[in-house]
Amino acid sequence: MAAKRSNTRYGLIAVLVIGAFAALNSLFIVTQVEQGLVLEFGRAVDVKKEPGLHFKLPFVQNVIIFDNRLIDFNAESKEINASDQKRVIIDAFVRYRITDPLRFYQTVQNERGMRDRLNDILESSLKKVVGSYPLNALLSPTRNKIMENILAEVNQQASGTFRADDENVSDAARQVAKLGGFGIEVVDVRIKRADLPQTNSEAIYQRMQTDRAREAKELRAQGEEAAQRIRARAERERAEIIAEARKTGEVTRGEADAVSTKIYAEAFSRDKEFYDFYRTLQAYRQVLDGKDTTMVLTPDNEFLKYLKEVKP
Amino acid sequence: MNKGRGGNSGGPWGKGPSAPPPPSNDDFDAIIRRSQEKFRDFVPGGGNRKLIGLVALAAVGLWLASGIYRVEPEEQGVVLRFGQYDRTTEPGLRYHLPSPIETVFTPPVTRVQRIEIGYRTYGGSGTGREQSVPEEGLMLTGDENIIDITFNVQWKIKDAKNFLFNLRNPELTVRDVAESVMREVIGKRPLTSALTGGKQDIEDENKALLQATLDSYKAGIQIDRVTLLRADPPSAVIESFRDVQAAKADQERSINEAQAYANEILPRARGEAERVLQEAEAYRAEVTNRAEGDASRFKAIYTEYSQAKDITRKRLYLETLEETMKGMDKVILGEGGAGVVPYMALPEIKKRQGGQQ
Repeated sequence: MAAKRSNTRYGLIAVLVIGAFAALNSLFIVTQVEQGLVLEFGRAVDVKKEPGLHFKLPFVQNVIIFDNRLIDFNAESKEINASDQKRVIIDAFVRYRITDPLRFYQTVQNERGMRDRLNDILESSLKKVVGSYPLNALLSPTRNKIMENILAEVNQQASGTFRADDENVSDAARQVAKLGGFGIEVVDVRIKRADLPQTNSEAIYQRMQTDRAREAKELRAQGEEAAQRIRARAERERAEIIAEARKTGEVTRGEADAVSTKIYAEAFSRDKEFYDFYRTLQAYRQVLDGKDTTMVLTPDNEFLKYLKEVKP
Repeated sequence: MNKGRGGNSGGPWGKGPSAPPPPSNDDFDAIIRRSQEKFRDFVPGGGNRKLIGLVALAAVGLWLASGIYRVEPEEQGVVLRFGQYDRTTEPGLRYHLPSPIETVFTPPVTRVQRIEIGYRTYGGSGTGREQSVPEEGLMLTGDENIIDITFNVQWKIKDAKNFLFNLRNPELTVRDVAESVMREVIGKRPLTSALTGGKQDIEDENKALLQATLDSYKAGIQIDRVTLLRADPPSAVIESFRDVQAAKADQERSINEAQAYANEILPRARGEAERVLQEAEAYRAEVTNRAEGDASRFKAIYTEYSQAKDITRKRLYLETLEETMKGMDKVILGEGGAGVVPYMALPEIKKRQGGQQ
């Protein structure tokens, strides 16, 4: 008795549980940042892009959720030849969005699969676009244009809209071109770093050093030059000042001599004979002085005439 | 629990169990029965249905209460219903229908966040240590030189909805774009303009480009500031740049020294010139005055002389001789110099002069 009653109960409970499970299994939530792909035995039947609560057939259908946001992909560094044969290491990043989950699922399954393909596509696009510009174009306002070209190129390859005879297209893109691309939209490709390989960097450092050394030498030499100029000018000016002063001094002395000569001439010309006498006496006073002079005289001398005799 | 339920033939779901069988310690059944009894203690059957109802009610109540959430002053609440954006709520105590019907995100919309590029600060800002990250900081300039740059970006959430739903990795995106934009901006400039001045320009250009790029992603991010902290030559070559600075100083020093020399010798020269001029003037005064003095003395004597020529002449002659010969050695010879050989001892004279010197 008791066993029978409990069996019906169990049956009811089982039905309820299975029913609840089926109901839950037929419901799924797609959030604001997601999109869902509904598969029926592996065959895609529906794409749910709107966020919210959705229904599907329980058990026979399953849902794969994809991201609806902008997905970041930072590629590995790639060494590319610019058109002037300079090698440059480029780090680029891609921002893409899954626009067609079905095609995305068919071509790459998931984001990890996409990363490998995207890496190839980016590399071939970089080779094509960067390879057509010289290095210094990357270091100029043209960089923006280059990045736009790369974006267009990556989008073409990702959507399979490239020209069939384009040699630069990666194998990955070629394979999925028939399907109409990867079902993604590449929103932006930006070159993060565009650096020279290590050996070139060393060369640049050396060039920078020699540049600076040249500049330093030039500055010091210019300093010497200016200093020499200032010194030379100052010395010339000094010589000029002194020479000018000496000239003026000599002129003054000459004038003075002229004036004094005139004064003497005027005074002495009154009596030449007396001047002769007077001046000679003055000269005696100057010249014949002191003890160093020994005078040898004879009484014939005019001065000594009275030593001999007194003439009446 | 499972084990207990699996072994219980009656099941726990409200059915009153039959009387407990006699205990037996030896077999497996006994163990099961014992656990059954224990289980019954926890979930009493029979007349205790009300209690189950209460427990269920409490569970539902707790579930409903789990929808209470708080939005902090710096935050904004974004509520999703079944994953779909429903509403944005302001700071305060709020309620949303419990999970999984509604969920809430509370991004800090007014907080300014900082991203450091080219360096990292450890141990909190201000006191922390700084470590440089050269692979981020070193970049090529427009003239193919290398410069070492560190900067930071301050950003905040402009639009919580876009911020949450449009980008998978907003912070990483800000960092990547900022780095890319800085390299683009620096790549347009020659080294010297990036090193000296132009700091404001670089910051402004970077900010504008960064904002435009993020807007094109609909990132919901507002760039507050881009601050260029350092723009230096790379450490490998910084010595030679310092030497240029030293050379500039040397240049100025050379010029200053020369200027100092000029400033020293020119006033001296002017002083010397003045001395020469003054000496000449002094000479003029001396010579003319002496001439005038001599002349007037001569005139005075001449006036006297012209009145009594012979007497004056004699007097002048005698006075002069008297004066000059007073202190002299004098040798007076006899008449006609008889008996004296006029021999002059020149060496003697010389010796005497030498002795005097």
